[in-house]
Amino acid sequence: MTKDHDDIRTLDDVFRAARDAPMEPSPELLARVLADAEAVGAALRPVRNEAGPPRADRLRDVFRALGGWPAMTGLAAATVAGIWIGLSPPAGLQAGLSAPDAAYIVDLAPGAVVDPAWEAL
Amino acid sequence: MPLDAMSDISDEALLVLFANGDRRAARALTLRLTPRVLNHAHRLLGNAAEAEDVAQEAMLRLWKIAPDWRQGEALVTTWLYRVVANLCTDRLRRVRPVTLEAAAEPVDQSAGPVARLQGAERTNALQRALARLPDRQRQAIVLRHIDELGNPQIAEIMGIGVEAVESLLARGKRALSADLIDRREELGFEDDERS
Repeated sequence: MTKDHDDIRTLDDVFRAARDAPMEPSPELLARVLADAEAVGAALRPVRNEAGPPRADRLRDVFRALGGWPAMTGLAAATVAGIWIGLSPPAGLQAGLSAPDAAYIVDLAPGAVVDPAWEAL
Repeated sequence: MPLDAMSDISDEALLVLFANGDRRAARALTLRLTPRVLNHAHRLLGNAAEAEDVAQEAMLRLWKIAPDWRQGEALVTTWLYRVVANLCTDRLRRVRPVTLEAAAEPVDQSAGPVARLQGAERTNALQRALARLPDRQRQAIVLRHIDELGNPQIAEIMGIGVEAVESLLARGKRALSADLIDRREELGFEDDERS
């Protein structure tokens, strides 16, 4: 075996020995870490529970949920068009809506007779 | 959700749960990450008491960053290793007496008495040799060969390129070899080869 191989093997053995013998955290250290987590967590909770997001944030959330500015331009155009049609409807639309349309009843089963069960009693 | 059921949840998801007030997530993260943080700090500092202080401080910073954690940007462990390295660098810069011999050294309890002695001696020898390395070489060696991280993650932790990591590792291993090889017989490697 060459010297280089020996060196590599020695180093690998040393590293393995170090990995196989980790330093275990003491119960006291774990307790201190958990106590810190509890303190930080307690400081976070009141802010989230009592205040809630500010009004501006909620409006921003609604704005984002609707799709942002691109969706807003579409909504605005549809609103203006709706108001315009409501105030001065086009002639064709007016005629279609105001004409006394006839209603038709179509009997799909002319031979059928309704014979309710309670009449037989 | 029982603690065991949290073993499949990623560090990042647990951190989000903690930020939302889940105490069990804090416990799961503590048990999962504190040993890693502690051992890394111990290897960088060579002092168990200081390593405990660094581990606690690093975990405290993790709790504090939780509400502002930006998901998907970095692994929690990458962020933690970086914090530990910074904390250790700050401590190493301060003038302090070398207390390696006073530090409680880890001992492999599963090995027999002779093997345990050799294992502990090897670990001590490694710790002393690591302490003599430049800071950046020591950090790279510990991350690669003790924490068994890949070079890309090490590069991210250290804020350098992968090639620079490879260079640090090569120089660090050469220096460690020179330090340890002369003591091969003393550390029991000759016995290993005969057995």
